[in-house]
Amino acid sequence: MCNHNRKKDCFEYVDSQLPRVPLELVVNGEKVYELIDPTMTLLDFLRNNLKLFGTKEGCGEGECGACTVIMNNKTVNSCLVLAVEAQEADILTIEGLSKGGELSILQQEFIKHDALQCGFCTPGMLMSARALLDRNPDPTVEKIKEGISGNFCRCTGYQSVIDAVLSAAKREREELR
Amino acid sequence: MLSKFAYYKPESLEEALSYLEKNPRTRILAGGTDIMLLLRRNVEICEHLLNIKGIPEANTMSYTPNEGLFIGAAITVNEICEDVGIRKRYPSLSGAADNLASYQIRNRATVVGNICNASPGADLAAPLLVYDAKVHIASTEGNRIVEINEFFAGVKKTVLKENEIVTGVFIPDVELGDNSVYLRKSRIKGHDLCNVGLALRLTPEKRLLMAIAAVSTTPLRLTELEKSVEGKEITPELADWIVEEIKKYMNPRPNSVRSSAEYRYHIAGVLIKRGLKKLLEKEAN
Ligand SMILES: Cc1cc2nc3c(=O)[nH]c(=O)nc-3n(C[C@H](O)[C@H](O)[C@H](O)COP(=O)(O)OP(=O)(O)OC[C@H]3O[C@@H](n4cnc5c(N)ncnc54)[C@H](O)[C@@H]3O)c2cc1C
Ligand code: FES
Ligand code: FES
Repeated sequence: MCNHNRKKDCFEYVDSQLPRVPLELVVNGEKVYELIDPTMTLLDFLRNNLKLFGTKEGCGEGECGACTVIMNNKTVNSCLVLAVEAQEADILTIEGLSKGGELSILQQEFIKHDALQCGFCTPGMLMSARALLDRNPDPTVEKIKEGISGNFCRCTGYQSVIDAVLSAAKREREELR
Repeated sequence: MLSKFAYYKPESLEEALSYLEKNPRTRILAGGTDIMLLLRRNVEICEHLLNIKGIPEANTMSYTPNEGLFIGAAITVNEICEDVGIRKRYPSLSGAADNLASYQIRNRATVVGNICNASPGADLAAPLLVYDAKVHIASTEGNRIVEINEFFAGVKKTVLKENEIVTGVFIPDVELGDNSVYLRKSRIKGHDLCNVGLALRLTPEKRLLMAIAAVSTTPLRLTELEKSVEGKEITPELADWIVEEIKKYMNPRPNSVRSSAEYRYHIAGVLIKRGLKKLLEKEAN
C-alpha cells in the first residue's frame, strides 16, 4: 500500500496542480460550469467545490455507500467516479430531494419510522431508495434489500429503513399519481 | 488522488488505440470500481487515464441466434442482471452478476473490467469459462481473439499487452436444454469477494463443465476433471468423488484475509454437491 506516514496524507483530497479541465453538468436541476482538477472524484467536487456537504465520505472505496448520488438516473458511489466522468451528466444529491423547503415524502417517512439514528448513512440511503422508487414504484421487501445493498448502516439494523421505504412507496403511489 | 494523470475520453476505437500506442503508462478506465481504488491507495501510478466508455463498439450488446452473445467492454454488470435472454440462456452468468458487489457498484462495474482486473476471485470468470467465452482484443497492430481459458496469466495478470484494449467478450450460443448454475460463498451475503465461486454447466448431451474461482492464482477451468467424469451419470457417489478430486486442482493461499485454505477446500466440496443437485433439479423441471 502507500508509503505515507499518516493515512490522512494518502486519502485526503490533494490538488494535483495539473492544468484545469472544463466540467459542465447539471446538479439538482441547476447548470454548473467549472474548471477542475482532472484527478478529483465526483464526491470531492460536490463537497469541496460546490459545498454540498450532504453527500458523505465514509470509506472512500466503494464499500459503505455514504457517498451515493444519482447520476443520469442511476445510483453511483461518487467516491469511485471521477468528476470529469460526470461531463454533461444530470446529478441528484440529497440537497435536491426537498422542494421549496418541504421535505419529500421519502424523507418524511424516514423520520416517521425512525430510519436513522446518527444519520451518517442517511443521505446515501435516501438516494438509493429514491432511485429504487423511480424504477419500481411498488417494490417488494426483497427488492428494497437489493436496492440498499450498497448502503451500510451501523445504527438502525435496516428494518426501519425498509419500513420507511415501503410506506413512502405507498404514499407516493397514492398522492403523486 | 496522488496519481497525476491526463484524462482522455475518445469517441472512437481508432482514437483510443492510437492514444494508447503513443502514450506509454496509460491505464484503461471502464467502470473504475477496481482501478479507482488502486489510484487512490497509490498502489498504481499512471500518467494517462483512458476512459473507454465513449467507444461505440464498447457500448454494444448483441445476441445472434446460433452464433452467440457479444458483450461490449462498457456493458455493466447490472445490464447483465436485467437481461432476460441472458438469464434464460446463460443462467450462471446472471447468477454471478446478481452476486457481484452492491447495486450501485453493479451500475458502474463492467463485465470486461471484471476479467481484465484478473482477480483470482473475479465472480464473472467462472461462468465465462464454462461457456468457452472469447476475449476480443484490439490494438493498432490489428485484432485478435483469445480463449478465456488462456486469458488469465496470474494474480491480477492477463495476457494483454500495453497497447491493447479488450473490445468485448463473445459467448457462443447454447442449445435448448443447456443449463448452468453459479454458487459462491463469501463472509457476508453479497458485497464481499467470494471465498469460492463455482460455475457448473450441463449440456443437453450431458457433458458436465466446471470452473472455480478464488482457489488458485487465477480462476480455473477444470478441463481434466471434466474429462475424467465424461459419460458418467451424475450420482451422489460421483459427486463425492469430484469433491475429493477437485482438491488436487486447488491451490489456495494458506491464510488470506478472507479465509484459511482448509475452509476453502471444505467450501468447494459443499458447493460442488449443492451445485450438482441444483443442476439435476433444474433438469427435472
Ligand atoms: C465495494 C466493492 C465490492 C466488490 N465486490 C466484488 C465482488 O463481489 N465480485 C467481484 O468479482 N468483484 C468485486 N469488486 C471488484 C469490481 O467491482 C469488479 O471487478 C468490476 O467488474 C470491475 O469492472 P470495472 O469496469 O469497474 O473495472 P475498472 O476498475 O474500470 O478496470 C479494472 C481493470 O481492468 C482494466 N480494464 C478495464 N477495461 C478494460 C478493457 N476494455 N481493456 C483492457 N483493460 C481493461 C483496467 O485498466 C483495470 O486494470 C468489488 C469492488 C468494490 C469496490
Ligand atoms: S465513501 Fe463512497 S462508498 Fe464509502
Ligand atoms: S443511522 Fe447511523 S449509520 Fe445509519
